Amino acid sequence: MQNNIVVNKVNSGNKKSFREYNCLKVLKKQKYLIFMSLPFVIWLFIFKYIPLWGWTMAFQKYMPGRSFFEQEWVGFEYFIKMFQDSTFYLVLRNTIAMSLLSLIFGFTLPIVLAILINEIQANKFKRVVQTISYLPHFVSWVIVASLFSKMLSIDDGLVNNVLLSLGLIDKPIAFMGEPKLFWGIITFADVWKEIGWNSIIFLAAIAGISPDLYESAMVDGASRLRRIWHITLPGILPTVMVILIMTMGNLINIGFEKQYLMRTSLVRDYSDVLDLYILDYGISAGRWAFGTAAGIFKSVVSIILLFSANTISKKTMGVKIV
Amino acid sequence: MKKVISLTLACVMVLMLFSGCGKSEESDVGRSATTNESNAADSSAQSKEPITFTMYSVEVDPYPDTGFKSPVAQEIKKRTGVTLEIENAISSDAGKQKLSLMAASGDYPDLVYAKGDLNILKNVNAVVKLDEYIEKLPNIKKFYGDDLKRLRWSKEDPGIYGIGGKELGQENMQPNSGFQLQLAAIKELGYPRVRTLTDYENVIKQYVEKHPEIDGQKTIGLSLLGDDWRTMITVTNPANAVVGNSDDGEWYINPDTLDAIRHLTRPEEKEYFRWLNHMNDIGLLDPESFVQKYDQYKAKIASGRVVGLIDARWEIEEPVAALKKEGKYERTYGYFPVTLNEDIKYADFQSAGYLGGYYLAITTKCKDIQRAMEFFDWMCTEEAQILTHWGVEGEHYTIENGKRVMKPEILKMRFEDPAWSQKTGIWKYKYPFPAYGNAVKDSTGQYFDPFDTLEAIIATQSDIENEVLSHYGVRAWKELYPQASEFPVKHYGAAWLVNIEDPEWKAADDKILKIGYKMIPAAILAKPSEFDKKWDEYMKALKDAGLEKVEKQFSQALKDRTELWK
Amino acid sequence: MKKTSIGDRVFDVANYTFMVILTIVTLYPFLNVLAISLNDSIDTVKGGITIFPRKFTLNNYVQIFQTDTLLSSTLMSVLRTVVGTITGIISTGMVAYVISREDFFAKKFVTAVFVFTMYVSGGLIPEYMLIRNLHLTENFLVYILPGLISVFNVIVLRSFIDALPFELQESAKLDGANDLVIFIKIIFPLCMPAVATLSLFIAVGQWNSWFDTYLYAGSKKWLSTLQFELQKILLSAQSSGQQDIYGSSDMVSQKRVSPESLRMAMTIVATLPILFVYPFVQKYFIKGLTLGGVKA
Repeated sequence: MQNNIVVNKVNSGNKKSFREYNCLKVLKKQKYLIFMSLPFVIWLFIFKYIPLWGWTMAFQKYMPGRSFFEQEWVGFEYFIKMFQDSTFYLVLRNTIAMSLLSLIFGFTLPIVLAILINEIQANKFKRVVQTISYLPHFVSWVIVASLFSKMLSIDDGLVNNVLLSLGLIDKPIAFMGEPKLFWGIITFADVWKEIGWNSIIFLAAIAGISPDLYESAMVDGASRLRRIWHITLPGILPTVMVILIMTMGNLINIGFEKQYLMRTSLVRDYSDVLDLYILDYGISAGRWAFGTAAGIFKSVVSIILLFSANTISKKTMGVKIV
Repeated sequence: MKKVISLTLACVMVLMLFSGCGKSEESDVGRSATTNESNAADSSAQSKEPITFTMYSVEVDPYPDTGFKSPVAQEIKKRTGVTLEIENAISSDAGKQKLSLMAASGDYPDLVYAKGDLNILKNVNAVVKLDEYIEKLPNIKKFYGDDLKRLRWSKEDPGIYGIGGKELGQENMQPNSGFQLQLAAIKELGYPRVRTLTDYENVIKQYVEKHPEIDGQKTIGLSLLGDDWRTMITVTNPANAVVGNSDDGEWYINPDTLDAIRHLTRPEEKEYFRWLNHMNDIGLLDPESFVQKYDQYKAKIASGRVVGLIDARWEIEEPVAALKKEGKYERTYGYFPVTLNEDIKYADFQSAGYLGGYYLAITTKCKDIQRAMEFFDWMCTEEAQILTHWGVEGEHYTIENGKRVMKPEILKMRFEDPAWSQKTGIWKYKYPFPAYGNAVKDSTGQYFDPFDTLEAIIATQSDIENEVLSHYGVRAWKELYPQASEFPVKHYGAAWLVNIEDPEWKAADDKILKIGYKMIPAAILAKPSEFDKKWDEYMKALKDAGLEKVEKQFSQALKDRTELWK
Repeated sequence: MKKTSIGDRVFDVANYTFMVILTIVTLYPFLNVLAISLNDSIDTVKGGITIFPRKFTLNNYVQIFQTDTLLSSTLMSVLRTVVGTITGIISTGMVAYVISREDFFAKKFVTAVFVFTMYVSGGLIPEYMLIRNLHLTENFLVYILPGLISVFNVIVLRSFIDALPFELQESAKLDGANDLVIFIKIIFPLCMPAVATLSLFIAVGQWNSWFDTYLYAGSKKWLSTLQFELQKILLSAQSSGQQDIYGSSDMVSQKRVSPESLRMAMTIVATLPILFVYPFVQKYFIKGLTLGGVKA
């Protein structure tokens, strides 16, 4: 036993020296780690890597049912088609715009909420608020879209009624018909729906901060805000960064459900996103190749974003994923 | 270490590629011949052994007869031994995906109803050619008669790959579409003549002036529903109708040359949209028309404050039912065949003949093709048709003086219980199986259809409806319209049923459609002086999106199909 | 006695006010759904219902509870959620632990190989074929195996593990514990807030999932889940096919759209159970209510 520890201390952080040891010895020593990871790595290969053969579909005029060899190869034709389509750039613009807004508001506000909830003194109230705040997450977008439609309606919609009675406007505004407002409305709806749910993980991170730190800060007379700034924020930083990096990677994958449900004829230039475009002109039209090509494009972009975010985070905050 | 792993990965992937991903089934055309031999002897004494057929239908059905338990289903089982296990798609898109997955994996049910997407399965030879079976069976041929030709697949492959689908001999007893006006408005204005757009507009204008509010809420002159694909129904189809064409989807078909163009590109229709623009300009058009969702639209109608609508009857069924439940019959609507001018006839009732196009098919994985065909054959008999249309004698209908009479409870259920078909089984096995429509009479001279006859419909009309109708000298709304006999039967069928198989073509077609969703509302809501400009922009956008090519492709497909049906 | 400055008081008041507004705003949609679900279906078409039903009725719920698949689909949902969550969190935990160990010889490789899959996918057809080839169709395991690990969860959990001082593991090793024991007895318990949260995520994911049921349950009705039954009702109300609109109106009216009130009732039925789970998990990540200390 003693030997093992000595070995451990000498070799921690120094990978090269492992190679000098007998491979088998390493495997034996780390056998539990291997046991706890190998089955899952195999699982990963089976369920995630094997289906990647599907990427070949992007280069063929894929027809379901014909075997691999019977497919017609078209090379990069679909990629070119996609990059030449002006609609593609339009939806890309919309996607990025909404993603960025979602990042700015949808990522930061839950953190703020978590911190604020944490600062509530009365435990019962704290629990109640926290429980209710996540309820919209469980209401489907179908219903939320319908709700927003009604509230923003010019025909007795809540928002217009309030604005009119406060005298801020003299004619109702057709919010859902204003293209430029669409991005704002979507972001707002998204934040409303998800803020409570997204704050949970940050609450968990805050729960992990040692109470001693707070106590000693209070003894030193630090105010509420200072305590948040100097203890809470740094305490959850690793978790925040890690989630941020992964969110960056997902920037291009914002899905389409909410846009599809919330859009109206008049705002289509601003509402249509990449995933919707892929659905419409790819899968739904039976153009599997096109859908796959677009999927590959998204994957490539995501990986690039992920690694960029990862590198920046590594260099600035010292937090990394890979 | 990393190199070893990546190399292994590559090998594994290559292996996977070779090993049977996407194996297609061997062509089973030969199969029909072999089973035919063994079963030829049995065809006269049709087997009644219990057998279950699995079926997938892309039709969405919120009230499926799961377990084949309804009285009609049980009766079918008793008479034929067949049990049907039907799975419905959960949405139209999902249905299409499922078909693709079926094709890719080779897992087919016994029967499949794919509407316009059967080609997905046909392309992998998953569908059985039925010609030989039909030859040998008595009833299918009798059932379709001359229309059997309309079951042919295509010019390149004129075989028959499915039957059923749309009803045979269906005539509309009620107008499908029209310009709707509230009965209260008609009555108050003294039953004016509503023949042209100007007449229609005047009714709305006058009524709105007299009643700026209805039941405490602001009156809306005309409300449209520009919610995604529904734009086609309330916004663009009427343009086609007011210039005198029957519904061919997005197309105008030249009856002589069979050349097809998108109907919206015709200059006559532009004038219709100009009229809509005008309605918006004078404040009679609901400003939320292109912003509201279906639920909101329905709610407005149900509140009774929308004076005019231009919609399909089924789309406003729910809110009209709500109005009726509250006793607000005067707020329900009358249907008028409005056109651009006196010379044009509203062609809602023009017949397209048997529609064909959608077929119920038997897959090559069917456990007993012969038996399935015998079942379909039985479906084509008179007794089967009566069963699927009327239900079980004694339970659902009675015979009085030699005539079938539907029991009043069933009639009531049909209007009050959305699950009526599921519970009784009536009409559940009509469509998409071979079925007679409402215009066909049986050998005793009675209609096969219990509900959709003119008399039955008149019986359901409300008092005020009858009152209004009598002032126009008719018994039902249908009679206000030019009748089917005034138009030639469309020998090319219904244009919208032509299947667009090529995905590239489909994508282009979709694109053209979606440009409209955006630009048509823009033109309608623009200032009248800008209308022409906006409309020209729209026409140009269509051209840029490849309109000509799509039109040519479609024309060719339509011509081919018409040839096939000769 | 705590010292509270004026600044702190202002902060508290502002905070509480904000929380009250937030609560109202986030509670509203739910109450709205509840109200509509308790409202007569035909009356609902008129719209205008906010948080109270106008024409109260339990009919919508009666209709739902009369469907014979309700009980079996609920049981299946519960089963897959429980099994899926337990297997999921343990797997996630193990992988997260292993890749947190700097000294693990394959750390970089395993991490990279997992992370890569977050953004790549072969698509529906290859995945479908794989499941089929593995004979997982019409099989309960299809709910457990393919979705076993979410890489996002792994990475998040790892960040929590990284926050724990390594000395804990070292001293455990001194006492003779092997890696597995360390994982079970030390790491897992100390990461309770994260473990609880991620278990909740996995559970909700399992509970809400219906697309896999749709694709793989096939004819086995007992594999249907509550969410799938809900989706069937919800989606039938959104017919999106252009082909649906043409032709004989009877055909369309044959498939009456399920009324809004029914959809709302189904939403409540499908959502309520998971909400009951929540209070049990909440105490793990609300500070001040944590069981045991997280102190080093």
